[in-house]
Formats: sequence, structure tokens, C-alpha cells
Amino acid sequence: MKFLPFLLRNLFRNRRRTLLTATSIAVSLFLIATLLTVLSELNNPPTTPDSALRLVSRHKVSLGNLLPIAHAEKIRSVPGVTGLCGSLWFAGVYKDPSNFFPQFAITTDDLFEVYGDDLKMTEAEKEAFLKDRTGCIAGRKLADRFGWKLGEKIFLEGSIFPVEVELTLRGIYEGPDETGLFFNWEYFNEAMNNWNYCGFYIIKVASGDLAPRVAESVDALFQNTTAPTKTESEKAFVLGFISMLGNVQLLITSICSGVIFAIVLVAANTMAMSIRERTREIGILKALGFRRHQVLFLLLSEAIVITLGGSLIGSWGARLLYSSIDPSQVTAGFLQRFYVTPQTLALCALIGLGVGLVSAGIPAWQAARRPVVDALRRIV
Amino acid sequence: MKIPLKYNLRSLLVRRVGALMTAIGIGLTVAIFIVMNALVNGLDSTFVQTGHDNHLVVLRQGALNETGSYFDRSIFDTIRLLDGVKRDPSGEPLASGEIVVIINHPRISGESANVMIRGVSEMAFRLRPEVQIVEGRRFRHGLRELIVSRSLSNRFQDMQVGKVIRIARSEWRVVGIFEAGGTAYDSEIWADYDDVAQEWDRPVYSSILLSAADPQAAERLKKRIKDDQRINLQAFDQKAYFQEQTVSSAGIKALGYFIAVLMGIGSCFAAMNMMYSAVLSRMKEVGTLRALGFRRRSILSSFVVESLILAMAGGVLGCVMALPLHGLSTGTANFMSFSEVLFHFRITPWILLQGLIFAAVIGILGGILPARRAARIRLVEVLRD
Repeated sequence: MKFLPFLLRNLFRNRRRTLLTATSIAVSLFLIATLLTVLSELNNPPTTPDSALRLVSRHKVSLGNLLPIAHAEKIRSVPGVTGLCGSLWFAGVYKDPSNFFPQFAITTDDLFEVYGDDLKMTEAEKEAFLKDRTGCIAGRKLADRFGWKLGEKIFLEGSIFPVEVELTLRGIYEGPDETGLFFNWEYFNEAMNNWNYCGFYIIKVASGDLAPRVAESVDALFQNTTAPTKTESEKAFVLGFISMLGNVQLLITSICSGVIFAIVLVAANTMAMSIRERTREIGILKALGFRRHQVLFLLLSEAIVITLGGSLIGSWGARLLYSSIDPSQVTAGFLQRFYVTPQTLALCALIGLGVGLVSAGIPAWQAARRPVVDALRRIV
Repeated sequence: MKIPLKYNLRSLLVRRVGALMTAIGIGLTVAIFIVMNALVNGLDSTFVQTGHDNHLVVLRQGALNETGSYFDRSIFDTIRLLDGVKRDPSGEPLASGEIVVIINHPRISGESANVMIRGVSEMAFRLRPEVQIVEGRRFRHGLRELIVSRSLSNRFQDMQVGKVIRIARSEWRVVGIFEAGGTAYDSEIWADYDDVAQEWDRPVYSSILLSAADPQAAERLKKRIKDDQRINLQAFDQKAYFQEQTVSSAGIKALGYFIAVLMGIGSCFAAMNMMYSAVLSRMKEVGTLRALGFRRRSILSSFVVESLILAMAGGVLGCVMALPLHGLSTGTANFMSFSEVLFHFRITPWILLQGLIFAAVIGILGGILPARRAARIRLVEVLRD
């Protein structure tokens, strides 16, 4: 610690170089923090106490195959099931296809039991929605996006189903995902001439421990029917969509490695330059009685201060910046949140530390073991 | 008077380790830029290359995609017999009624993805001459047989000739592998229309692909189909229909630019660092140049050129690093159809050129401030030192 002033003086002797290097590293670590956050958000969809108790049951072949609504009563009879919604991806067009947002026709009997706090609304709004067959509820962000008020008429033209629905906004909900719209499946089914199909079932179980058993029993129920099911946790269901994106993991990790390699080069270059310029000084230090490991320690700490400093600025900068913007607006609802986790921050700090050690390692070691006479004689 | 280039080259050689490291750093940036562009380009060109002139895709009115479209089979005859549909020498209209369904199937790597199955008849092959069987044979009617694209076969479990896939109720045998010339059909499985309609219990068509006699006929047909309220269908140019699906790459595109800009800024600072250090250690030299009569302007441009050479070396290095990825096949989700689309990284000369331009921008931006510093050196001070 007593060498701290010495360290700082050295850092500030070429302020521009220190600053350029640190900024370059900060920008790179900002990028790495962003990419790691994309990855972690994709791999960890937001969960709530309620979502952990939900299972999703879809047709075994694919989501494109629909399930008869008659499945509902059979699933309800499975022990451990406390609530059930039949749901359907409506994919309607609101005014123009570019206004895309998720829309679900959903059975409303157990809606608020199944979703709990994930659809937070006033009791009055809930009641108004349940009473109105052509009512709908929308997430806060979605309502804000189009400036909807309660009582708003919303007209959706089906792009998968040949029907049009005219809905009245009866409630605006808050929760982890506020970009969707729900309306009554009964209304949809009537418009479809009592077609009696839904896309998937959302099943609420009494406790998390029961979930795997319930999933198995549900699938066993329909194993040999014309509409066999595949039941999994809601999280696994969402991750299934993410895996459709392809090998994002590989793409992002290879880009991160490229970036890390590039900043190692940048930092190594800086340290090599700054150590080379100081060969004589280092000789003097050693002549004064500094030990080899002390010199090595001084030079390494200097590099680490720059790289670690840069990485902290970059990663914390990312955290601050992203906490002040709403990712669901920027990504059209694809990412619900964008939170730079403590793990990501720690990893970035570790990268900063590692880059400092690796980049300064060779030049510092060379400088530290150079014989005093040699160093003092050397003219730079 | 201009300072000879040789001076810059030799100066870089003097600091070769530092110069090389900076160049590799810029090279990595350029390589990532090229790879992201190649990814977008590969995905886009899959869609752009799909389709023939005067071919129309007919969907249910309001449907945005084949996977979200279905209509009664009886309408098919109405459409194929319309005036303006091209006929073959035997008088048969060139129109193919097709059904599209999706299965969720495991990739070789383990996780599952959605894959599109197209139920077709003989006519589908005639309207898409790019689809060629490269292994095995075509499927036969009524036997629950499949042909699979080469790309799918390389990427998904049990999609090789002779293997059997279990779908819902029945077992389907893979009897052939086809290639479709890098088009969107390279991400599909094809089977007999009746077999698919039966298995899925959907006696409907998802789409009709037809060939119009000429561009005017195509326009007339589009209008005719749209105006007929009873059939409630809509026709699109096949090319335009697939081009619209390039929205799939919007996310990658945005990510790519974001990464390129940030890495570009980082590399710019690195180049600046390198050039400042070059200028500062060559004060005496610069002073000498000035004393010899070189103008400030010449010195300025000389250092910018030096930085440019450094960056361009990095740019070329980046191109070399990225090139091996060309042709690598990969896949992502087409969110229009909710199914997997397979494509190849496609590095074109234009993308390489863009990479070099990117490197040049990094070099110039990184070199300009240090070069100004060099040009401002005061002769008296330096030579007295």
C-alpha cells in the first residue's frame, strides 16, 4: 500500500495513454457485459412464485397442432391440478402487421387463479372483464404503446384464423410481462362456429414438487388419443422458443472471446510501451534495493489498475445505462428486462483482472529480471 | 512535397511487435464485422433467392404466412382453372395445391426446433425445378414416405435415408434427400399431400403455388383472386412473399451493428494509442523532416497514411481470419412461420470491401489526432532537446 502514490504517479505520467487504454477497455467490457446479459436474459426467462407453479401442455407434434377443448375436464381431474386455462395464440393484426403484439384467446374460469400476481389488476377491472364476453385485458406497456384507455374498442383481424374480433378493453394489468393481450376464448370459439379447439393448456399445480408427476399423468392421459400432449414447466416451454433461435450461445461466446483477445493485445501493447520507456528507472529502483518480485508487483499492479478500472467503468456503465431504458420497447417485447446481473459484473471484473495480468506479464517479467547494469546502460 | 511511403513502412517495421498487435486487434474487429454481415447476408439471400418470376403464392385472405393459412380444397379447382394460369403442352394448368404443417423435432445437438413439412403432389416439383433429389428417390403416394433437405438431414436426428421418424400416430420413412439451390425450400421436409392431410386430419390446402402465363396475367390473376369475395383468398408474387420474410434477420442485423460500432471505437482508441506513441518517440525525426523542408501538411498526411497502412494491414488480416467461415451452415428461427430456416454464412466481395472500408475509417480516425500533434511540433524546441 505504501507504494500507492508511486503507482498513481506512474499511471498519470502519460495521462493520455492511460486514458486511451482504459477507455478502449471500458468500451470493450461494456460490449461484453451487454452480450453476456443478452445471453443470461435468454437463458433465464423472468420467473415469479406463480410462474414456477405453472405447466404448459401442448400437442406433442408441435404448437401448430391444436388440442380439443374436451381435454380441459380430463386434465382438471388429475390430482394436484388447482387451476387450468385453455389458451390460443390468436396472431391477429391490429391496424397493421407492424403493430405486432402477443394475443391470447384464453378460458377465463381459472384465469386469475392460474396467473395470480402475474396479472395484477383491481378487483373491479377483473370483474368487468369476466362479465363482458367481448372484453379484453392488456398489459400496462401495451396499453401505453397505443395509448389505450379502459373502454377502448380494439379490432383484431385474425391472420391464422379467419375471424375478426371486436374487443373492449376492461382492464390493464401489471406483472412481469406487460406486453400481451388476453380475451375470452368463448367469444373466439363462437366466432369460429363452436370449433372447440385451443392451442395449449396452462396448468397450475398445488406445489412445485408435484409438477413433474402432474406433467407425467397429463401426458399419460392422452398418450393413445389423436391428440397426444407434451407437458413441461412454463420455463422449459419458453426456453423451447429460445432454442429455436439457433446457436446464440456459440455466436455470443465466440464474439466475447474475440473481444477479450483484442483488449489483451491493446493492454499488452500499452504496458510494453510504458515499461520499455522506463527501463532505466526500473534499473534505478533495483539499484536502490528493490527486489525483483517487488518490481514485478509494482508493474503488474499498474496494469491491473488500468484494465480493472476500465472494466469496472464499462460493466457498471452498462448496468446503469440499461437500468434506465425499457428493453421491451426497444426489442418489440422480445426481451422483457435487461438486467446486468452481479454475476456478469463479477465476470467482467475477473476479465479485467485477467487481461491486466496477461498483458503486463511478459514485459514486466522481462523488466524485473533485467540486470541492473544492463538496464542503466540502456538508452531508449 | 510528399514524404515517401517507404518512410512509413520502415517506421512501422521498427516497432513491429507493437504494430502487429495493433493490427491484429483491428483485424479481430474487422473479422467480427464481416462474420456478422455474412450471417445476415446468408439468411437474407436464402429468402431473396427463393421464387420465380410470374409465380404466385395464394393464401387465405388475412394470412401473413403459409403456416397460418388454410382453405377448403374445393377452391383449388376454381383457382387452377382461372384464365391466365399457364398450362403445359398437355393442357394441364401449372398450379400446385399444398399443405404446410410443423413438427417439433430434436436437432442432432439435442434441443428441439420446429421444422416445416410440405405436403405436395408431382406438380410442386415441376413448379420448383431447383428442388433436386440428390440421394435416394422421391416419396410414393400412400406409404407415409418423406424426403428431407440436405441441410435438415445434416442438422436433425433421424433424417437420413432409411431412418424412420415417428410423428404423432404413424411412422414415416425417409426415402430421399433433396437440395433446393440455397432457397428457403432447403429448410423443409416434403411428403405426399394426401398422406399429410390424413395424418394431420386436415383436409385443406395451406397455399397454392401457380405459374402465370406472363407478367400481365399475373397482375390480372392477383386482382381477380382478391376481388372474389366468395373464395376469400389473396395472391402474392412468390418472390415478394419470400422477400418479406427477411425481417427474420432484423435482430441479428441490429446486434451486428451494435457490436461493430463498439468494437470500432475500442480499436480506434488502440490505434490512437499506438500512433501517439509513434509520434512522441519520433519527435526528433519529425523535427529533422521539418528542417529538411517538408511542410506541416506533408507531415500530417504522412502520419495519417501510416495509421491507415496499419489499419489496412489489420483489415486484410481480418478478412483472412473471417474467410474460413464462408459456407458454414447454421440455422435460426423464422418467426414469420415459426419454423427453422437453415442457411450458410455468405461472405461476398462486397462484404470484404465493407470490412476494409471499416478498417480504413478506424485507421483515419485513430491517426488524425496523433498526426496533428506531429504536424504541430515546433522545430526549435525539438532540435534543441
